[in-house]
Amino acid sequence: MRAAGVTDAEQVADGVERWRAAATATGAADRAAAEAGVRLAYRRAGLAEPERIVWAGSPREALRLLRDAHDGDCGPEARGRSVRDAVRSTPWAAERSRLHDRLGPQGWTRRWGVTGARLWETTRQLTDRIGAGLVEGVAGDRAEEAAIRLLLLDAVLGQHDAAWLCAFDTGAGSPLDGLAAVARSAGWWWPYERLAVVCERPVELHRDEAGRLDRGDGPALAYPDGFALHAWRGMPVPAAFLDELAALTPERIRDEENAELRRVMLEHYGYDRYLQESGAQPVHRDETGVLWRIPLPDDEDVVMVEVVNSTPEPDGTSRTYWLRVPPATRTAKEGVAWTFGLAAEAYEPLRQT
Amino acid sequence: MYRQGDVLIVPIEESAVPAHATAAGAPEEPRDARGRLVLALGEVTGHAHAVLGPGRLVREAGPFGPMLLHLPDGGRVVHEEHAAIPLPKGWYRVVRQREYVPGSVRVVAD
Repeated sequence: MRAAGVTDAEQVADGVERWRAAATATGAADRAAAEAGVRLAYRRAGLAEPERIVWAGSPREALRLLRDAHDGDCGPEARGRSVRDAVRSTPWAAERSRLHDRLGPQGWTRRWGVTGARLWETTRQLTDRIGAGLVEGVAGDRAEEAAIRLLLLDAVLGQHDAAWLCAFDTGAGSPLDGLAAVARSAGWWWPYERLAVVCERPVELHRDEAGRLDRGDGPALAYPDGFALHAWRGMPVPAAFLDELAALTPERIRDEENAELRRVMLEHYGYDRYLQESGAQPVHRDETGVLWRIPLPDDEDVVMVEVVNSTPEPDGTSRTYWLRVPPATRTAKEGVAWTFGLAAEAYEPLRQT
Repeated sequence: MYRQGDVLIVPIEESAVPAHATAAGAPEEPRDARGRLVLALGEVTGHAHAVLGPGRLVREAGPFGPMLLHLPDGGRVVHEEHAAIPLPKGWYRVVRQREYVPGSVRVVAD
């Protein structure tokens, strides 16, 4: 994408889609392209190329390499100072400032709105979750945890920098071309004076339609060295918890004390099945659907609207789905209206499909 | 008002349209690679609630809208899994469906 102003909307949309694909790419890194990108990024920063480029299977392995004793291959003595500011932050700030001056404050906001803003939320959620997973992986030692947090400050996020990269010109010859080349070819990386540690991309990435990590039968995110995160519709869950989902019973769900895990259990078990087996009775019924209430001990009631999709599935059946609504909801219509931020009397669709 | 899956399209009076949306040079959402105005995009399937035809889309604050849609000649909202809905000309507010989660609210994606 060339920085010719946001005059060609389709070109911008195309650029966003290509960066979206880069951000969510899985499978082996293109090591040659990534290494060339690393070297280019150093040269663009006015630095000597790193003497060594070391590959890691995941950010976890990269941290393990970097936490090596002082005499380790990638330890503080061997690697020199972090050059993240020179390689990544300074050129980024310069490009942002240049674009801001050229487009004006409104133009810059507009540019960001049609580019980076579209990828920001989902990639930020992902990187926050990876960071949290890396910190959690440290066995309870506060000093170790602090060391990990410090090292995370030195990371360049590679493919997960797609959101901000897509707001800029990253074509060949542009100040950000090296960073962009790494982002298109590899995962997170750590630039230091004498060496760069570059990570592989994930081998598994499963997200729901809203872009949140989501998988019921395995890791939602996994790297080739085994570093993995489990999540259900964005909510982090322990790996063992997923194994248990297959053998759930209504009693087990009722007995679960963690409200968030119980919600996941309910969703996985199926509200319909749970309603049937727990003998729940509909509270209210009208033209918009059916309102159900499940009392839970020591917790607010689960109140749901049951809605039938207006467009039949290809096999002619109509899909029924449940949406949880606030516990004070009294009628099905009030519940459906709430899901669209409306009061019951304001919700009057002329047509729905 | 019109509903296609998890998207509600609510007509609004022209007089009720915020001034920033009608101002010259107001930030418009770009069309997608197929030239459509995308009201909501499924991240994984790529299925979209999208409008064909002339018009503009202005995003309001927040990652999921609402958005304001102007269709000077009317249009059609389409989706891979829902029947198309014709929309008369005018201004609309586009609202994504949400779900109650104790302590927070999350967006529904079909």
